[in-house]
Amino acid sequence: MFLKVQLPWNVIIAAENLQPEGLMLQREIILRLLGDFAVKKATKDLGYFLAVTTLEKIGEGKVRQHTGDVLFPVVFNAITFKIFNGEILEGVVHKILKHGAFMRCGPIENVYLSNLKMPDYRYVPGENACFMNDKMSKIGKDVTIRFVVIGTKWLEAEREFQALVSLEGDYLGPITTPDI
Amino acid sequence: MSGEEEENAAELKIGDEFLKAKCLMNCEVALILDHKYEQLQQTSDDPTSQISQVFEKSLQYVKRFSRYKNPDAVRQVREILTRYQLTEFELCVLGNLCPETVEEAIAMVPSIKTRGRAQDDEAIEKMLNDLSLIKKFE
Repeated sequence: MFLKVQLPWNVIIAAENLQPEGLMLQREIILRLLGDFAVKKATKDLGYFLAVTTLEKIGEGKVRQHTGDVLFPVVFNAITFKIFNGEILEGVVHKILKHGAFMRCGPIENVYLSNLKMPDYRYVPGENACFMNDKMSKIGKDVTIRFVVIGTKWLEAEREFQALVSLEGDYLGPITTPDI
Repeated sequence: MSGEEEENAAELKIGDEFLKAKCLMNCEVALILDHKYEQLQQTSDDPTSQISQVFEKSLQYVKRFSRYKNPDAVRQVREILTRYQLTEFELCVLGNLCPETVEEAIAMVPSIKTRGRAQDDEAIEKMLNDLSLIKKFE
């Protein structure tokens, strides 16, 4: 789910980048914030950091001892993407393996659908390997799938999420509507 | 994933801070990110360096999965769904998945039936009809 969040952060401006004019300083703070935001990528609690939408407030700067850098508390609004257990989402298959399929969903690269969680589908080997069921419904590369999330995992080192998903439930599976 | 209670979006067990947080539909995110993208193209000397991978992948995703493209239609969808006492989370799941039947809507958002908000089938039916009308006239 995409979320609109309001975050209080601290932005640190190096002493040599401090500008006397207010406007230039504000610009410096915003650039710094945008840079920090993009580097942060994601957190376990809030999910992936997509974009800063508006800056609400820049507080009083505090000079840090020793370095002379100035720390500004800021409050801003941003969009994040977090995946929840039990959530129903849609994704696109990008890799088929014998034991399951990998999908992309929003910024998440590894959404895994195990063949154990799509019981009526069978693996069909070949150059364009895929999974098929008796009704000729096909799960192959670039196919859109609607699934339910059964587990999520936060990888601290990569700052990334992985998800386990399932097709067990009503109205889940490949989507054929041509209008999207 | 531990915690006192297992997280389960189907029953709206997703942590208080998220229940109250404002959720966004794919089509709304698409409008915002698209606008951001254009802004960056115009104001930055080196736009590609300002765009993170997370931004890029998300933009691609929401463009593919937006059921409504026109900004007026997007606004109307939220307006209509707001009339039905849904939580932010439920509202966005419905707006994203656009179920066609009452049965499908309940399968996608089981909590609309279980939370005792007297959401009868008739009301759900009317909501789905209103949504499909927007799609038709978009």
